[in-house]
Amino acid sequence: MGFEKFGKEGYVSQTKITPMLSYLKKNQLPATVCQKCKRTWFPPRADCPNCKSNITEWTTIDGTCRLVTFTEVHFAPPQFQSDTPYFLGVAELKGGFRVFAPISGKISRDMLKPGRQMVLRPTTPTADHTYYLLEEL
Amino acid sequence: MGKVAIIGVGHSKFGKRSDASLRELAFEAYRAALGDAEIESKTIDASLVCSATHYDKQRSPAGVINEYLGLNPKPTFNVEAACASSAVGLRTASALISSKLHDIVAVVGVQKMTELPNEEIQELMGRAGDVMWESPFGTTMPAYYAMYATAHMSRYGTTEEDMARVSVKNRAYGAKNPDAMFQKPILLEDVLNSRMVSYPLKLFDCCANADGAACLIVANGEKARKLSDSPVWVAGLGLASSPMSLAGRNGPLTSFEVSKKAARTAYAMARIRPEDVDVAEVHDSFSITEILNYEDLGFAKPGRGAKLLKDHETELGGKTPVNVDGGLIAKGHPVGATGASQIATLVHQIRGEAGKSQVDGAKVGLAQNIGGIGMYGCVTVLKA
Ligand SMILES: [Zn+2]
Repeated sequence: MGFEKFGKEGYVSQTKITPMLSYLKKNQLPATVCQKCKRTWFPPRADCPNCKSNITEWTTIDGTCRLVTFTEVHFAPPQFQSDTPYFLGVAELKGGFRVFAPISGKISRDMLKPGRQMVLRPTTPTADHTYYLLEEL
Repeated sequence: MGKVAIIGVGHSKFGKRSDASLRELAFEAYRAALGDAEIESKTIDASLVCSATHYDKQRSPAGVINEYLGLNPKPTFNVEAACASSAVGLRTASALISSKLHDIVAVVGVQKMTELPNEEIQELMGRAGDVMWESPFGTTMPAYYAMYATAHMSRYGTTEEDMARVSVKNRAYGAKNPDAMFQKPILLEDVLNSRMVSYPLKLFDCCANADGAACLIVANGEKARKLSDSPVWVAGLGLASSPMSLAGRNGPLTSFEVSKKAARTAYAMARIRPEDVDVAEVHDSFSITEILNYEDLGFAKPGRGAKLLKDHETELGGKTPVNVDGGLIAKGHPVGATGASQIATLVHQIRGEAGKSQVDGAKVGLAQNIGGIGMYGCVTVLKA
């Protein structure tokens, strides 16, 4: 399947890191590892900007994280308008990786604060969509 | 860099300009700038057309605009850096002039946004961020800036009321600017009671899409002295980039690294410090942005931006008057025209022609323009 299945509404269908989707479907958080400098990249990338090498090695990472910031979207692009209001957040995982992800609607806004411990979990709500989202620990 | 000056500026009325096409808006600003410089088209060597071209129905708009201005066969091309397009246009013109490739260049910032159906505008807005990693979750322009607001509120105790003060100040100045989209002052309660767009930003915390154009006539030192009694000198040019993805940026997300970096470069080049700035135009795409800008430009210490506002230090009569033409919040934000509009305001200020919004004895002006969601930062210093 193409990468347009990543997220709620994907825009990019063709990429070298499409294998990411099969990890998410197995409930794993995938990252890539540069064979040359051994650096791990999340979100995964196919090219190491340090070594200029092509990356083909995959690994998985831990979803424990801290919220950096968030917003609650009330006015959305047309294809998302029926989901409003919804949360978006940035969180920092172990190893310093940062992620931009939706935050579970089960949390109330008062509970969200920068610095709060959360967990990034893979989710596959439909056969056509797989991604990750931030949930309560 | 060789000596470069602005010898003429022109500005169209900003707003919902259903009376004019893209090329006609460009013409309004160009004609005004030529009149201001007291020159004819034959004196212009090249035009730089600055717009975020994804808003334009016309593909490669420099082609049609250069034609409509009557400038063929002189060189023309588009400059695009989202909301900072025409600030980067001034930088590009300065480089072309400095390198002696051209003597006099017209920088034409223009945008036509209100003609697009709302659906299309919202769809475009949804792709303002990284389309691979962030847009698939329903991002918007306000959402990105709202996330900076949340972080700043949490770290420094900045409040929604603090942010509302920016909109109240800028709308009050907009009421004195005949080219502004919004000419009516608003109250703190109006901002606080306006509908939520992306928490914590409400409708009146946000600038509006608009149509409009602004034009700068830029010349080398020799021509500027010959053609103008009051050239305004380009003294400092700073431009920096940040990752486009928000997750790619470091730190607590309470400041824009692009602004800090661009400001350092521009201050060093102009040999000034933040306290030397007499009047500033900053990128208030959202109320929170102006507060962050105070801190990033060194007008206030980190976390103290809101205090500066409360102490009225960025109003006329204060330490550093900011956005006394109304800013993006009152003028509207025709993306490609905004950078040149800021520069035009500073030129009027430095020449002492800013009327009711004149800052007494303004000699040093600073313009700060952020592109998109903070991936481009442009700071320009002008001197008398
Ligand atoms: Zn490497």
